[in-house]
Amino acid sequence: MTCEIPLSGFTRPLARLIDQFERLPGIGPRTAQRLALHLLRQPEEQIHSFADALLAARSQVGQCQSCFHLSAEPLCEICRNQERHTGILCVVADSRDLLALERTREYKGQYHVLGGLISPMDGVGPELLHIQPLVNRVDRDQISEVILALTPSVEGDTTSLYLARLLKPFTQVSRIAYGLPVGSELEYADEVTLARALEGRRPME
Amino acid sequence: MIGSNGEGKSNLLEAVELLGSLRSHRCSSDRDLIQQGQATALVRGLCGGGPGGRGEAGVGAGASQGDALELELRRQGGRQARRNGKLLERQLDLVGPLRCVGFSALDLELVRGEPALRRQWLDRVVLQLEPVYAELLSRYGRLLRQRAQLLRRGLGGAHLADLLDAFDQQMALIGTRLHRRRRRALLRLEPLAAAWQRHLSGGNEQLLLHYQPGTVLEGEEAEAPWREALAWQLRQQRDSELRLGQCGVGPHRDEIQLQLGGQPARRYGSAGQQRSLVLALKLAELELIRQLWGEPPLLLLDDVLAELDPTRQQLLLEAVGQGEGYQCLVSATHLGSFSDDWSKTSQVIRVEKGLIGA
Repeated sequence: MTCEIPLSGFTRPLARLIDQFERLPGIGPRTAQRLALHLLRQPEEQIHSFADALLAARSQVGQCQSCFHLSAEPLCEICRNQERHTGILCVVADSRDLLALERTREYKGQYHVLGGLISPMDGVGPELLHIQPLVNRVDRDQISEVILALTPSVEGDTTSLYLARLLKPFTQVSRIAYGLPVGSELEYADEVTLARALEGRRPME
Repeated sequence: MIGSNGEGKSNLLEAVELLGSLRSHRCSSDRDLIQQGQATALVRGLCGGGPGGRGEAGVGAGASQGDALELELRRQGGRQARRNGKLLERQLDLVGPLRCVGFSALDLELVRGEPALRRQWLDRVVLQLEPVYAELLSRYGRLLRQRAQLLRRGLGGAHLADLLDAFDQQMALIGTRLHRRRRRALLRLEPLAAAWQRHLSGGNEQLLLHYQPGTVLEGEEAEAPWREALAWQLRQQRDSELRLGQCGVGPHRDEIQLQLGGQPARRYGSAGQQRSLVLALKLAELELIRQLWGEPPLLLLDDVLAELDPTRQQLLLEAVGQGEGYQCLVSATHLGSFSDDWSKTSQVIRVEKGLIGA
């Protein structure tokens, strides 16, 4: 993970800072440089609060004991919210997916974050994911429906099918639909998406 | 294209193949296609119009007049495809103006070699027929790899059976689709290949392309019963799979048996018969693509013509010259091994040190 642009032109502490930025996902050498130089121009208090925020986030943010979403409290905001339905559970791979679903403002149930997908190639079997707590939760909390919202990849489908097998004795299990993105033109959709949409067709009501 | 070994003839043909089909028969990674020490590689080609409208500078069988195709490979950041200077959102949209069929010395193994070679050949044909097939193939491959790793690493624990069930369910569905599409493509290829085999053998050899699926499949090819059959057989072989670490049923065990006069050509065919057979398969592929797209594809013959005897060279020449004819790019080390008719009707280009001479 070293920089492609030689850091020789930079004084040592600055080179270190650039190197740290470059380790972040989605940040290339140029952006790393820009961010580092930008920080140098900020007042010292600003830098302190930035560093504090980093450390505080790292030390305080853990996982919700119930749904495993990122949370500083033992129970996350969603699990604490009395106005949400407690009978419906939406299963996602990680917190980013949860946030994406939250942005729709359409879903009022609870979540369960698995912490990944089953992928033997990467050494990830079911025990490494929060699957057992999910089964316990469904059994204990009298969940009436579990919605599986996992990516339609081989790993996502494997995880969905596996979960469906485990959960069906306890509750109703459904899966989010795959199809055309709203607002896109049919003729520009790729063949795979179109084929999936055809396969998942529904009778007109 | 004439040139000594290592001067760049195959490289040029590979570039055409890449521009036409987005893949190379030689390697699967773009890194192997980019010159060492360089960050990018660029293939640029100008396709003339369709039959009758071929420009002097262009090659190919495109429908539109003078399409400029461009494919840029990068060590980092993937590919970029441009058509007439316009960046394409999907590289797949580059396919069309330059359809081609390759024929290299590797293909001579098609009859004698391992079943995997025949599956790859058939898969290339199906990909031309049905673009979604690429997704099915890659999904199935990934399922197989994940399943093998699951057993090898012992990750299932107490729930191994449930996990294998999840794999079975997906493999039964996707496997059935691969079986059906392969069988369908073979049914379309068979009459064409059989006709060429009769032609190449002077009318007395009966060719059959016999599909032997890696799953026992009875009856007609309706999806549901085939899927159930595959699912059932996947369950049945589980014990032996756990012992051997290898999944024993499914399309990855398919064989396409090539029969001449009712006998498997792999075992009983003479060397000459086997060569004719490969030729017949290639010509059938060529013709199927022409039927499908209404345009003759470009034929790429990489160092293979010299391996055919003069009679078969002559038959190939006649075959590709029929009707409106196919444009061929042929590479060889010297002209001597070609029949006079080939040399006379061809434009000869010399390739030296990666450059095209007069």
